[in-house]
Amino acid sequence: MSYIPGQPVTAVVQRVEIHKLRQGENLILGFSIGGGIDQDPSQNPFSEDKTDKVNGWDMTMVTHDQARKRLTKRSEEVVRLLVTRQSLQKAVQQSMLS
Amino acid sequence: MFSRNHRSRVTVARGSALEMEFKRGRFRLSLFSDPPEDTELQRKLDHEIRMREGACKLLAACSQREQALEATKSLLVCNSRILSYMGELQRRKEAQVLGKTGRRPSGWCWCRIGPPAERSPCHGRVCISDLRIPLMWKDTEYFKNKGDLHRWAVFLLLQLGEHIQDTEMILVDRTLTDISFQSNVLFTEAGPDFELRLELYGACVEEEGALTGAPKRLATKLSSSLGRSSGRRVRASLDSAGGSGSSPILLPTPAVSGPRYHLLAHTTLTLAAVQDGFRTHDLTLASHEENPAWLPLYGSVCCRLAAQPLCMTQPTASGTLRVQQAVEMQNWVRVHGVLKGTNLFCYRRPEDADTGEEPLLTIAINKETRVRAGELDQAPGRPFTLSISNQYGDDEVTHTLQTESREALQSWMEALWQLFFDMSQWKQCCDEIMKIETPAPRKPPQALAKQGSLYHEMAIEPLDDIAAVTDILTQREGARLETPPPWLAMFTDQPALPHPCSAASVAPAPAWTQPLPWGRPRTFSLDAVPPDHSPRARSVAPLPPQRSPRTRDLCSKGQPRTWLQSPV
Repeated sequence: MSYIPGQPVTAVVQRVEIHKLRQGENLILGFSIGGGIDQDPSQNPFSEDKTDKVNGWDMTMVTHDQARKRLTKRSEEVVRLLVTRQSLQKAVQQSMLS
Repeated sequence: MFSRNHRSRVTVARGSALEMEFKRGRFRLSLFSDPPEDTELQRKLDHEIRMREGACKLLAACSQREQALEATKSLLVCNSRILSYMGELQRRKEAQVLGKTGRRPSGWCWCRIGPPAERSPCHGRVCISDLRIPLMWKDTEYFKNKGDLHRWAVFLLLQLGEHIQDTEMILVDRTLTDISFQSNVLFTEAGPDFELRLELYGACVEEEGALTGAPKRLATKLSSSLGRSSGRRVRASLDSAGGSGSSPILLPTPAVSGPRYHLLAHTTLTLAAVQDGFRTHDLTLASHEENPAWLPLYGSVCCRLAAQPLCMTQPTASGTLRVQQAVEMQNWVRVHGVLKGTNLFCYRRPEDADTGEEPLLTIAINKETRVRAGELDQAPGRPFTLSISNQYGDDEVTHTLQTESREALQSWMEALWQLFFDMSQWKQCCDEIMKIETPAPRKPPQALAKQGSLYHEMAIEPLDDIAAVTDILTQREGARLETPPPWLAMFTDQPALPHPCSAASVAPAPAWTQPLPWGRPRTFSLDAVPPDHSPRARSVAPLPPQRSPRTRDLCSKGQPRTWLQSPV
């Protein structure tokens, strides 16, 4: 089986809710994002989390710049992410075994 | 009855004996009372002169270039304020001598109904904030000063009337996409015909002699020519105080050695530019590439320019009125009316206006409202009435109010006419009150932010969260333990399309940089060439410290070459 970019896929996700930190005049999340549909994934030094949704916006087919913009909206103080990662599956398996 | 718009230094009732004395020339109005505004201006001038002395001393004692830049900026702002105040004082004295004070004491008129011949609009507060000037770095900029990060110190000077204010100084280098100023600048005495002049000044942070760009003789020519013309500019600014002339507000001080600020761009904003939101305005660029302090400005400035006319924020009239509660004429209720902004509030008691109680009745007053004074025969004892009509869709709603006397009626009419006049002059500022934040006193340039932020302290154990998730999953679904679910392929599969270039050398941008003391966190320039899908793709990253020449010939499929990271 393979994953075809652009096709819908069902995945185990984790909800993450982050309240933005205030730094001077700005609200920041405090981490960096990398990648995007327009980026080369083989150069990813980390390979864990992938973000599926930000505050309801679909992120599976966005460019790097679009992703950055959706996370840095000035009017939003809380960012709700749906995140998936490889280790989620392992954790699911382990809990089902026991 | 209190009426706010009667501004005068000396109130003289028309037709009184005192007015007769004035007309006969027995007294001069200026001798009668020392104008308080002039002593205020003198006091400000003395203050600036003292500040200037302090700035000179500080500049002489500076050892570091950045301190010298701040001190020079303070000195230049003091100089320009001194010139502006001196010019204004001179203008006022001349006007007094010639007998044109520019401000007539307005008196009451006993019998005449109608607007007086000459009306002046109320003043207001004008606030400019969220100033942002975009920059346009071209690719050649990266190669010009290799290894050296060329930096500029910039600030904005703003002038309205004789008042000059400045923003904080910001250090700019080529990693910034915009120059963003945090300051809110407030001018408290602006008329609707105000002209807010905005000037951007810049200086090199490095010594000007060290630049390889500007030829030596041009630099000396610039400095000497500034010295010659400064005398002319002193006279010019004295003649045209208030910044109405085209000469820049800021004068150089050739006698002081140290950093030199150059005018980079300017623009003038008027009432037409006022809006309760962000707008972009054009900048007139004033320097060219040969100038050592030249910055690649995009040519526009974004800001929020808001104005609050006094008629919107302060009550312009108040007094006792009687309103009709019901359709029948007999039932008149006594209220305390307050005319403020676009409403006439009718409170049950005078104290309610201050305590925040809801008024009994609120009548809207806007540019469509029609007002009529009249005399009602049917209401004996209080025949003087005021009718206010508003159109709501197809219906016309008229409120009839009784005033206490004929004089009170005149005053109310006068206040309403003044309000209509102010609304016609201040235009969009009278539709709704624009919010203006009182600018906080500017903090001194801060030291580096401390390390121990909340972000560093928080540690989230991923296993803690997953436990909750997996609990829900086990309850809901049966387990598929054997085969890995399809979505895991996202993490393991190679992308479907091959890419020949495996060694695109892109230096990863740092994950998160410390916020710098002079502005908001940097955003790396994301208007670098996006990975295009044409056959002739090339490898571009936001800050390429080195470029791999191999990539140019190998890339033929137009694959994404980069893996960008951005702080959020």
